[in-house]
Amino acid sequence: MVDLARVQKELQECNRDVEVSGIRVSPKADSLTNLVGTIPGPLGTPYEGGTFKIDITLPDGYPFEPPKMRFATKVWHPNISSQSGAICLDILKDQWSPALTLKTALLSVQALLSAPEPDDPQDAVVAQQYIREQNTFVNTARYWTEAFAKTSSLGVEEKVQKLVEMGFPEDIVRSTLEAVGGDENLALEKLCSA
Amino acid sequence: MEEDYKNGSSYDEYYDNVYAAANDDDDDVDVDVDVDEEEYVDGLQEPEVETNRSLFSARPTCKVIRKKYLLAAQKEDLQRVMDLLSLKEHHARTLLIYYRWDVEKVFNVFADRGKEWLYSAAGLSVRSSKDLNSSHSSNEVTCQICFEDVSGNESTIMDCGHCFCNSCWTEHFIVKINEGQSRRITCMAHKCYSICDEEVIRRLVSVKHPDVVEKFDRFLLESYIEDNKRVKWCPSIPHCGNAIRVECDEYCEVECACGVQFCFSCSSEAHSPCSCLMWKLWTKKCQDESETVNWVTVNTKFCPKCYKPVEKNGGCNLVCCICGQPFCWLCGGATGKSHTGNTIQGHTCGQYKEGEVEDAECAKKQLFRYTHYYNQFKGHTDSLKLEAKLKDKLQEKIVILEAKSQQLKDFSWVTNGFNRLFRSRSILSYSYPFAYYVFGDDLFKNGMTQKERQIKQNLFEDQQQQLQANIEKLSMVLEEPFADWEEKDVLQTRMKIITLSGVTDNLCKKLYECIDNDLLAPLQEATHNIAPYRSMGVEKASELPQSLTRSKIGGQ
Repeated sequence: MVDLARVQKELQECNRDVEVSGIRVSPKADSLTNLVGTIPGPLGTPYEGGTFKIDITLPDGYPFEPPKMRFATKVWHPNISSQSGAICLDILKDQWSPALTLKTALLSVQALLSAPEPDDPQDAVVAQQYIREQNTFVNTARYWTEAFAKTSSLGVEEKVQKLVEMGFPEDIVRSTLEAVGGDENLALEKLCSA
Repeated sequence: MEEDYKNGSSYDEYYDNVYAAANDDDDDVDVDVDVDEEEYVDGLQEPEVETNRSLFSARPTCKVIRKKYLLAAQKEDLQRVMDLLSLKEHHARTLLIYYRWDVEKVFNVFADRGKEWLYSAAGLSVRSSKDLNSSHSSNEVTCQICFEDVSGNESTIMDCGHCFCNSCWTEHFIVKINEGQSRRITCMAHKCYSICDEEVIRRLVSVKHPDVVEKFDRFLLESYIEDNKRVKWCPSIPHCGNAIRVECDEYCEVECACGVQFCFSCSSEAHSPCSCLMWKLWTKKCQDESETVNWVTVNTKFCPKCYKPVEKNGGCNLVCCICGQPFCWLCGGATGKSHTGNTIQGHTCGQYKEGEVEDAECAKKQLFRYTHYYNQFKGHTDSLKLEAKLKDKLQEKIVILEAKSQQLKDFSWVTNGFNRLFRSRSILSYSYPFAYYVFGDDLFKNGMTQKERQIKQNLFEDQQQQLQANIEKLSMVLEEPFADWEEKDVLQTRMKIITLSGVTDNLCKKLYECIDNDLLAPLQEATHNIAPYRSMGVEKASELPQSLTRSKIGGQ
């Protein structure tokens, strides 16, 4: 029942100006009802530099019913569950309009990252921290961005350089990194135990 | 439609006249609204005249709306708004749904804020049909929902000016109707809160799904009841299909055509002089506590530390609560843990110390207090049930008396006496939960000082006791086997019943005056609205005038 023609058009439209918006939507598998969207963390926020994946499921009534969206990347934000990634955003609920698209919805999610609304929280713990201890909140959010939204962000050369600076010989660093599939932390562990 | 209005008002005048006539003819009677009790008692009830007059000067204030007349009743309100603002029916409906079918409110907002404000708040955009058609003819448009290009006649512009293709509109309407949002289906455009034209909805949806249109129409029709503070479904189970409309005060009690009496404000049983809130709290409390209260009072004592009721399960008088606090069963006072054969550590039971037991006493007092009011309430409710059976017995007595009596022809004093007993008894029983809350700490802790409270409680209880004494007398006289007596004794009983009825009615009135003027008014509690005392009992809803309803339906 999902209007697949519209979804297809939306995907084309969205990927056309991906350079400008930074927002991508792509099908998860063959079906057009399960999609993955990615949004860059907004500049000037603790989410800057991260890339956030969002699981999108289209209900049968789409676009007359809102798409279901959930953060697949862990994120520390008052309106997003730190456990499940559920998003508390009005346009994904009663304020949805069929005139909105996946791209506009994802833009709204991105805007939510810049402007949390702690009075209408999805995650009470995060919201409390946001209200009472701004600094701790910013640090935690930044740490989560580093830890979960940037895993493969460092290039191989940067990783090599980092490990060499720690005092390991370059050739051993390269072979170890290769052996663990590029994972910087595993490589470090291996290097230390060797 | 003009004509119908005249009919409507003449109906009301007719009723006024009927009541006026009833008052003029019988100055001194116990008039009863019951159709089968329209014969009046003569004489003997001077003090009641004034009450009756003031009650009947008002016209009937509530009406039964039978299911088949629902549409007509709704049209009546729609028509008033359509006439004033020269609107189409669906626009009037949008306004009225938003303003909860309060026609006066619509008129007031219109007068105070003007048309623009009135319309925009309700999400109503009124454009003439010319506007709509001129701007869009056969040109192709791209629907912003499905991104398809469609010709002009396959798309529809809504009153707000947004245009989408017909198939998208249809899908949108169906989703909204199935979500139960028929009453306020907004435009599809983002942040446009304009309400869609119900005619367009009907036309588009009916092409593919006539059953959904049916559902849509039903929701719109029922909105007249569900979104309307002046109309409520009768709470009868199984449901009689009727709704009741009140004309002025929604804090009243009504009797539906099916015979069920209920409080219009909260839809539960008639409970005046209890306010709705008091009644809700009371029924909940009774459910929670009724079965256990008696057992608990008899078999337990309250722990001096946590105030939980504790049952004694052994022979020793040193009892230990589940919270770990040991206490003396004899006096309820806290003690130490160990004891010898004749003394308990840290405790001398014989000595009377007020302070120590105060807290325990407090919890105990609370329970005793509740038990007292509950028992009174229950006692009178039970009497009420027993007395309901009296009605048939009295009927038998009337038959016997009618057969043998010579002088007396009219026996309405028996039924009138019974009705008075029944009504007053129910007021008396509901006055106990009322007293429980008014003189307790649950609702009005800081409402009055301890001294004030005591004075008012005495005043109230004095009224209540007088009423109770008279009710018991009336009940006793009615139960006497006067059908077997000599006629002169019957005449005496008749006098007694009529006098007692009059006094009882007067005492009920005074009890309400005490409640209104002395108890509730100084508390300035807007949340406690009480259905006023009606000497003639709960008002029976009159039928909607049939002439009106018929012509309205025909008029469409």
